[in-house]
Amino acid sequence: MEVYIKKIATTDFHKTPKSSRGQGKELKKMQIIIYGATDVGYMIASRLCPDNDITIIDDGERLPEKFANLDISHVAGSGADFDTLEKANCKKTNLFIACTLIDEANIVACWTVKKISEPQTVCFVSRVAIYNNLLSNRQHHYHTKYDIDTIIWPERLLTEDIFRIIMVPEALDVEYFDDGKIKLLEYRIKEDSPLCNKKIMDYAFPAGVLIGGITRDGELSIPSGKTEIEAEDKVIFMGTGNALDLLAAGLFATNNRIKSAAIIGGGNVGYFLAQQMEHAGIKVKIIELDTERCNFLADNLRSLVLQGDGTDLALLEQESIGNMDVVVSVTSNDEKNLLCSLLVKQLGVHRIITRTNNDQNTELFERVGIDVVVSPRESAMKELLNLMHAKDMDILALVAGGQGEVLRVSLGENFKETSVMDLKLPDNAIIGFIKRGKRIIVPNGLTVVQAGDRLKIFTMTENTESILSLFTP
Amino acid sequence: MKNHMIANALGLILTGFGVILLSPVVVALMEKEYSSILPFCVASAIGVGLGLLLQWRGGWNHNFDRIKRNEGLLIVTLTWIVTAAVGAIPYLFYGLTPLDAYFESVSGITTTGATILKDFSHYPKDFFFWRSLTQWLGGMGIIVLFVAILPQFAVAGRQMFFAEAPGPTDDKITPRIAHTAKALWLIYVLLTLLEIVLLRVSGLTLFDAVCNSLTTMAAGGFSPHPQSIMGYANPAVTWIITCFMFLAGCNFALQYRFMVQRTPGPLFKSEEFRLYCTLILVLSAGLCLILMYGHQLPFSVSIRDSFFQVISIITTAGFSSTDFALWIVPAQAILILVMCVGGCAGSAGGGVKVVRILFTGKFLKREVAQVLHPQAVLPVKIDSKTVPDDIQRQMLGFLLFYVVLMVFSGLAVTMIEGNPSVGFIGTAATIGNIGPGFGAIGPMGTFGFLSVPTKIIFIIDMVVGRLELIPFLVMLHPDFWGKG
Repeated sequence: MEVYIKKIATTDFHKTPKSSRGQGKELKKMQIIIYGATDVGYMIASRLCPDNDITIIDDGERLPEKFANLDISHVAGSGADFDTLEKANCKKTNLFIACTLIDEANIVACWTVKKISEPQTVCFVSRVAIYNNLLSNRQHHYHTKYDIDTIIWPERLLTEDIFRIIMVPEALDVEYFDDGKIKLLEYRIKEDSPLCNKKIMDYAFPAGVLIGGITRDGELSIPSGKTEIEAEDKVIFMGTGNALDLLAAGLFATNNRIKSAAIIGGGNVGYFLAQQMEHAGIKVKIIELDTERCNFLADNLRSLVLQGDGTDLALLEQESIGNMDVVVSVTSNDEKNLLCSLLVKQLGVHRIITRTNNDQNTELFERVGIDVVVSPRESAMKELLNLMHAKDMDILALVAGGQGEVLRVSLGENFKETSVMDLKLPDNAIIGFIKRGKRIIVPNGLTVVQAGDRLKIFTMTENTESILSLFTP
Repeated sequence: MKNHMIANALGLILTGFGVILLSPVVVALMEKEYSSILPFCVASAIGVGLGLLLQWRGGWNHNFDRIKRNEGLLIVTLTWIVTAAVGAIPYLFYGLTPLDAYFESVSGITTTGATILKDFSHYPKDFFFWRSLTQWLGGMGIIVLFVAILPQFAVAGRQMFFAEAPGPTDDKITPRIAHTAKALWLIYVLLTLLEIVLLRVSGLTLFDAVCNSLTTMAAGGFSPHPQSIMGYANPAVTWIITCFMFLAGCNFALQYRFMVQRTPGPLFKSEEFRLYCTLILVLSAGLCLILMYGHQLPFSVSIRDSFFQVISIITTAGFSSTDFALWIVPAQAILILVMCVGGCAGSAGGGVKVVRILFTGKFLKREVAQVLHPQAVLPVKIDSKTVPDDIQRQMLGFLLFYVVLMVFSGLAVTMIEGNPSVGFIGTAATIGNIGPGFGAIGPMGTFGFLSVPTKIIFIIDMVVGRLELIPFLVMLHPDFWGKG
């Protein structure tokens, strides 16, 4: 019996799971070189260092102080220098990550590594033109390719994340599977919600939706029909797009289509977000302080560009920001984002998305009542992990800080038809949906799984192993 | 100000213009009007002689590479004044007074199409051919012509090219200005030839086909027939000329891209072109209804006349397929409205230009929005591109000057002639390089009965209107004549 399992997406990394991620037999240690002892470099190193061998190359003689508590090696020199790369043992490297602050240096380093050996290269960039050049679908038009495997532009990824969250009203987190046919949404249940203080079995959910997990006080649990939902629970729903729309319509009586949005901060993220919103037909107002940048925005967008400070209450009131469906605060200053978000919350905005650059702030922000906190580095990290997992891991998504996982299991040719009840899954595992050919089935206990099915299983991280063994002889 | 350089450039252009003045002789030989050979030979000799004299005074130095902005503007302005004067010489041989001859010549070369002729039967065909040719030369611009054909202007041409066509858009279709000038003339010549063939096929004599084509493509409006296009009483001819006037009013650079470089995008996506088409369609439809119900004309006639007349006036050609001075007032009002628009930038048409109207509309809309959102940054965009501040100022300045000039000139003429219709409509028709106005100076009328001061004012209006005011206005500033 074959089992094909894959990890695709991960979310919510700021709390590294205590569980045994990487225990699986198929996970082998990777040799990773990180070029650039920057903040991003630190984040990557700290996330990956328990399970992988990491070497940092940096131009400085000594690593910054915070790297001292990581179990990594350091080579001083340039990432574009053969000798330095040899010293870092790049011939045995599987993954080369260039994340200095200089785009060109990253690109050259990626090229240089490719001259010596064949690791996967990941290049961090921060400018539009370079990003566009390096995009693979575009470079195919030209003579020679850039020869870089993956481009990561944190701010672009952040934009995409924010946009996905905006397009699903009220959701705290959104993941798409199978090109958006199946979605995973996370909602916070408020006191006035019809779900509040109800047992799951007592609420008539639309067909095609199930609850994958509930996070209460930071603890994830996989619910059963008898579980009661309380206020302030974060509930994870899985299901088909239509069914989830029905669910949202039932849970949140108001019409939830986002029609207007305000963006505070017209940097890269604000600019791209406005562009995407314009495409989606949302009316956008952007507030930006810098006059030069305002001119740039006004030249390149159809949205209304306001020159002013996001904390200027008179401006916010005059432009009736309080009536906006969503406000996105994406200046480069965390404190200002927080202030703006609290201010517009006072003005009556229901959906606020706030950017933070400092990972420590995420929890802090959530504690003072900001619903959705996003960070470019998190987005980048997520992308990076997706990339690594796509190679040889088995988890589709990590939820609630890695306490839960979505597994994808493909059933081999000679799998005997079994009903879900008879599969003997652990208590806290749920088959979210079954993909049979092009059909998507949301199963109940009587549904029969058969050879060729692909299952999405929602489970606690510690059960991953036992579930895998169920499907493996 | 380097006088010798200006003299040289002017001399060079005059010499060239003198040579072109010989071309009517060919027509004279073909039409066997041997008496017409002498006037053009004399004019040509004067042109070439004057040109050589100026070049001799200037020291035969044909290096114009270090030309300055004010010198470029002066050369352009003088070129138009002097070539018009040389072009007027042949008219003197046919009994016109010097002022009338100059008026007719300026009206020709600025593509206005206002005429002082009272009775067309006195004059030979050669005379009408020269009238049409001056319009054709002026249509694309004399400077553009000489930049295209004279290698001496390869570098200096830049300054002068944009001085002559100072529209808000400086679309160069090729990297070299001389090449751009050649490309524009290529389109111009091709379209003219095509029109000649079509008109010939639909029944005009070769002479009429050539003369009308030359003035159509120039958006000029001189016709060898005393009753303009109406005189041919040929619907096919009317429609063909309608189409070519439409093309003459479009941006030639974009037409070049469409026809030669095969990229239709820039033309059809151009907001100016779209507004131009919309204006023509809407106003023609309105006019058509007025004619059908107001004058009880049949549909085919009213749609033909309305399209022809709206396009003729908007492109500032000034042909007439009917005597629109006899139309009811609402119909005339539509034509007056169209008179204030003009062709597209970079076309043969004159007037305010569609792009400036477009800009003004957007500018006003912006001002209103700014009241609602005092802190908003609201750029004025044309073709999704923000119009830079200096261009915005320039366009607003142009409009202001245009209005000021129109008011003063209109008032002056009204006082002289004692007739506000002649004063204001005549001014609008001459500054906009349209040609006929209403009433006595209507399409079937003539400017010939006007008094001498009026004619002088109109001559100034025509030249200033053709050069789009700015080159003329800077000459009024003392710094222009400074040593710098």
